[in-house]
Amino acid sequence: MNSKVKITIEVIQPLIIIFSLFLLMIIATIITPGFLTIQHLMTLLYCNTMLGILSIGQTLIILSGGIDMSLGAIYWICVMAGAQLTPHANYILVLIACLGLGAVIGMLNGMGISLLKIPPVVMTLGTMIMLTGVLFVVYGGGGKGKAAQELIQFSTSRIGIIPTITLIWIILILLFHFILNKTTFGWQLRALGSSEIASIRSGIRANAVKIKAYVTAGVLAAISGLFYLGWARTPYPTFQSGAGVGAELALNSIAAVIIGGTLFTGGKGGVLNTFLGVLVLSLISSILSMIGLGHEWQMIASGMIILLIVGLYSKVRRESS
Amino acid sequence: MAKEMKNFAEKNGKKLVISLANSYIYLILLVFWVISCAASPFFRTVSTFSNILISTVPIALISLGQTTAVLSGGFDLSVGAIASMATCIASVTMQYGVFPSIIVVLIIALLIGFINGVGIAVLNIDSFIMTLGMMFILDGINLLVRPVPGGYVPEGLKGFLLLKIGDFPLIAFLILVLAGIFGYIILQKRRFGRAIYAVGGNPRSAWLAGINPVSTRIKVYMMSAFCAALAGIFIMARISSGNANAGDPYLFDSFITVFMGGTLVTGGVGGYGGTLVASLIIASLGSILQFLGVSIWYQFIIKGFLLASIAGLQLYFIRKRSEKGK
Repeated sequence: MNSKVKITIEVIQPLIIIFSLFLLMIIATIITPGFLTIQHLMTLLYCNTMLGILSIGQTLIILSGGIDMSLGAIYWICVMAGAQLTPHANYILVLIACLGLGAVIGMLNGMGISLLKIPPVVMTLGTMIMLTGVLFVVYGGGGKGKAAQELIQFSTSRIGIIPTITLIWIILILLFHFILNKTTFGWQLRALGSSEIASIRSGIRANAVKIKAYVTAGVLAAISGLFYLGWARTPYPTFQSGAGVGAELALNSIAAVIIGGTLFTGGKGGVLNTFLGVLVLSLISSILSMIGLGHEWQMIASGMIILLIVGLYSKVRRESS
Repeated sequence: MAKEMKNFAEKNGKKLVISLANSYIYLILLVFWVISCAASPFFRTVSTFSNILISTVPIALISLGQTTAVLSGGFDLSVGAIASMATCIASVTMQYGVFPSIIVVLIIALLIGFINGVGIAVLNIDSFIMTLGMMFILDGINLLVRPVPGGYVPEGLKGFLLLKIGDFPLIAFLILVLAGIFGYIILQKRRFGRAIYAVGGNPRSAWLAGINPVSTRIKVYMMSAFCAALAGIFIMARISSGNANAGDPYLFDSFITVFMGGTLVTGGVGGYGGTLVASLIIASLGSILQFLGVSIWYQFIIKGFLLASIAGLQLYFIRKRSEKGK
């Protein structure tokens, strides 16, 4: 009985997501004929590449049983650092510096959470406020600096019909799908999310695995920040939510992971699910803006979808156990 | 046997941390005030302290709710958004009368708290993800209600809440005293308060002892939302407008004060006394930094660092104690 329920959930879940994707596409086409052209879909993917790459990192962290509120802040700090450093240094050095910055902040998160056992929400919220402060102290919040010409060319170029950075997103998804399913690190990450005590007893070095996950997420956030910088040319961080820099981006990445069907308590799910989650989220936001509902409604929609899905999953999980 | 020993040690370790935190928090406040008075001539004036009392009120009120949420073993990330919502809705409805407006705001807050509580206690959603989702829904609604800061705040309400006799902010002081008494009675003397500690310490044994964890948790989140809405009304009187983001920074303040005040991150141990004193410290921190000419953004860095380091320190001491006890 138990195994039967489990199989049904796992089989039906992706089907539901794909079904809702089709439904959303049909709605979008009814509202705006011409929505379903290859060019437009490519643009849609292109616009969501940054969120997509960030969400890969969030997936790793949620799989390990944690959560990261600071990814959006890491993203913005890399955007600003990249823009400020560009006039003073070679663009390769700037790229390395930004990736290093992401890795260091991720490592701080990981060390606080694994070594000091601070709850992930508290630790990453703390990091988010700190980075908000740093961003304003160092950069004054304005759109100073600009992107390197090479980065702009790279971020706006296309290979055939596919934008280069979107192609990189897809490659990263396949890479992390492989890592999660075929390598020891991937299995350890899932084991940690399923049951921390059991995985420590079976010899997994939980602290090392957690730190690796947070560092990877930090680097991925830095990559997506750099892509954004190349796309936007000059950074103008948006602070719609007063909770802190990038809080909204972090929430959207959490929403994408959860909509995709990764369990928010960890253990089950993957980056392919998150890819579908990002697509659903992007379709919903473009439909909302097509019918003239603004950014506020997108926040409300993301929040409600998260609660709906998490509520449903908890109910199903309780009934199956 | 070994397990019992460990539990015993853990319990005593927790108790020690609490008693330390409880006595040290007053010392920290005192040292902080002395240093601040020495550092800045502007700080050692009566009007500074009266301003500190006024700016403590919203922090203390929001932290009262957050203390109960953390004690019950959860987090409430929606308190800042609820306070913002209170400023938005009150600034729209104040023109129809002060009391009806306040009652409407409080009822909406209780409803939000109820939804949070049902999600967390009945549907078993993790408290942080439930309140995080709620925070963003509310942030969206706030921007719809009040896209730009503004609205009508009656002079009478402002005058009453910010009333100063000489330089002494009477009403703010009374609110703080009442919040302290209320927090103490609810948490230490009432059955509801003891149930919160029991649920936060160990939900299963609380249930076996005849406490209903579901209704306790729902009440906790309703109380948290209620306190946040009260704080929101006070914030509105201070800034004399409604603002969709006005309450958001208080989310972090509430976490810092709760942990600084000696309430454990893991729930079940702590109290409101420490939180109240910590609220005074955080409010003073804001004004001394202002007097020293430090940019407001440094406060974010300091607060973020405080939040992570205090939570880390607490847990470090508990582990150290429980290791010694083995």
